[in-house]
Amino acid sequence: MAKKFRDPAERRYLYRFLVAMACYAIFLVAAQEAFPRLHPSGAPAYALAILPAAPIIAVIAIVGLYIGELKDEFQRSMLVQAMIWGIGATLAATTTWGFLELFSLAPHVPLYMVFPAFCVFAGIAQGVLKLRYR
Amino acid sequence: MKNQLRVLRAQRNWSQADLAERLEVSRQSVNAIETGKYDPSLPLAFKLARVFETSIEQIFSDESSGNF
Repeated sequence: MAKKFRDPAERRYLYRFLVAMACYAIFLVAAQEAFPRLHPSGAPAYALAILPAAPIIAVIAIVGLYIGELKDEFQRSMLVQAMIWGIGATLAATTTWGFLELFSLAPHVPLYMVFPAFCVFAGIAQGVLKLRYR
Repeated sequence: MKNQLRVLRAQRNWSQADLAERLEVSRQSVNAIETGKYDPSLPLAFKLARVFETSIEQIFSDESSGNF
């Protein structure tokens, strides 16, 4: 039986992603705990506030590296397609939501929810593409 | 783009997974190329030609040329 091909980029991606998510969890708890205790102001307050965003930005870079390192060009093309669908759906959903909010027809959603929304949309697109190219 | 992958595989008694292993790609990729849903890049097309010990033209044909 033929051995199932596993792109070495997959393992690297998974490792980097897990490290970034672990950092995210730690930074988020640290920022949430530190703010009410230390009452930071000025530059340290800004630095502490954006601390949890750093690993999320790293995840975006990690996905970029993954796309660049994937040896399997078809898988790469599927991932890029899924991300384009994800970007389109996120822009459509957030724009629509923004107008609903403007006219008080929807509750406020914080902007840090945009990235998880993108992940959900891109994930759905990946599933649909996998079914299409099965 | 039409291709002769199924025939070439059958001649060698290779499964899609066998070919995928030789090409160092996923079986899904072989299936997408074979069914014409994905056109491979030139490097991958050359790799296919090397694996089958033939030329790219023997594997792929422009649909409009009507060679296959």
